[in-house]
Formats: sequence, structure tokens, C-alpha cells
Amino acid sequence: MATTTAAVTLTSDLLSDALSVSASTTCMKAGTTADGLDQMEYGVVEIATGTAYDIICSTPTASKASKLYIKNHSTDETYYVRVVLDAQNIGSLYGGDWMFIPADFHDANADIEITAVGGTNIIEYALFHEGTILTAS
Amino acid sequence: MATTTATITLASTDLLSDELALTTTATLTGAGNSTGLTGTAGLARKTVTGGHAQYTLFDGSDYTADKAHKLYLKNTSTTAAEYFLITVNSEDVGRLYAGDWALIPWSAHDNDNDIKIDPSANDMTLEYMLFTDE
Repeated sequence: MATTTAAVTLTSDLLSDALSVSASTTCMKAGTTADGLDQMEYGVVEIATGTAYDIICSTPTASKASKLYIKNHSTDETYYVRVVLDAQNIGSLYGGDWMFIPADFHDANADIEITAVGGTNIIEYALFHEGTILTAS
Repeated sequence: MATTTATITLASTDLLSDELALTTTATLTGAGNSTGLTGTAGLARKTVTGGHAQYTLFDGSDYTADKAHKLYLKNTSTTAAEYFLITVNSEDVGRLYAGDWALIPWSAHDNDNDIKIDPSANDMTLEYMLFTDE
């Protein structure tokens, strides 16, 4: 099995005392400690303004333990991408921001769409998953 | 100005033919500006004794809409099959299995844009922190 780890560290001086939170997880298949996620999709795309695009073009297996990483490489603080899941606005990734979320893909409409705002945004993404339904040629 | 950073490392030595080692750091700033986020709710832990049911963790109407809020979540369970289903409004985002964490951009887009959690079992504990852009 493949072993992929995802670690995060959050630090801040927002509070009276320094904040430092760390977590690490091994990306496993749904409901198991014996088998790690062994498939991935990774890419970098330039997204022009105005149109919503599916960031993942294939259809991952539904309701598993897939993990999605997206980073906005824009350096202009006013540029961002809007992240929408089946018409539900989740949030926006501004220049330099990243996200790491569990991705359910629970039905055919549960696509993750991104729309660039402000200008052309450069987006890096990685999906760790248990399998996808490829489009027949 | 407060400075809050979020660093992620994705690593694997055997998923690909070559080693995967990705690390990046974001300084969390407000929407469309370079001012550090100034508010936080948490760090907090919540044990949901009642088990499988949907609970509102953050209400969209309590936060300024279309901002650059960031939400950290971690499922502290050590039982592999236990997960929290994370939902925004009525849309399922994904399942956070035992030990998994997430960092989610949250726009609090409208009053219905609530963050909801649904544990798969009784007595599961979620650790969470919201950085707010108010």
C-alpha cells in the first residue's frame, strides 16, 4: 500500500499566548487503517476569469475518503478563485491560500468548480482518491 | 497586525515513482488585502454524545459574508470507521475519518451557508478553529 501523509501547522500571534497547532494524518482508504489511498491526480492550470470550471474532470468513487488539495499561486492579493460544490459556494482562495478538504463526490452533481476573479489565476491541485470513473473514449 | 500562518506538507515515498514532498505556507489575510486575519473562534473541542445527527458548528449569519474566513477541523477519533460528514448548507463536502484534518476556506456566503457536522457514531470528538475576516 502507498503511504501518504498530510501534515498541517497553524501558528498565530492573534491571542495573548502564541498559538501553534499541528496535526498529521496518513491518508487511508475509507474506514481502514490497513490500506492507504493509492491513486492521485495532480496538476497546475491557469484559470481565466469568468467561467466556472470543474477542477477534477473525472468522477471519483462516491462517499470515500478522498482528499483534495488546492493552492492559488497568484501573487496579487485581489485575485482569487471561488470554490463551489454543486452550486453551493464554499469559500474563496486568495493569492497564496491553500485548502485541504475531504471530498465526498457523493453524486454526479457534486463537482468541485472553481471560478477565477480579478484576473487569470494559477491553480495547483492534487486529489488523493480510491478510484475514478474515466470517461470512455 | 496579527500574523497567522498555515503550513501544509504532503509527503509520500511510494505513491509515485519519485518522492512526493510538497510543502507550502500561506499567511492568512483578509479578502482582497494583505491585512492579517484579526479574529478567531477556538481552538475548541466538541464531543457529540448523541451520535448520528446533523449539528450546526458555525452559523453563516453570524459572520460577514464573502470574506476570507478559514476553518480548521480535526477528527480526534482513533477508530478507523468513524467519521464526521462535513456539510456546507445542504451540500456534503466530505467525510473526515479518524485522525483526518481539513483546512477549508469559508465565505459565509449567505445566512444559510452554515458549517454542519454529522458524526457517524456516539461520543466522537471534533477539534476545530475558525479564523475570521471581520
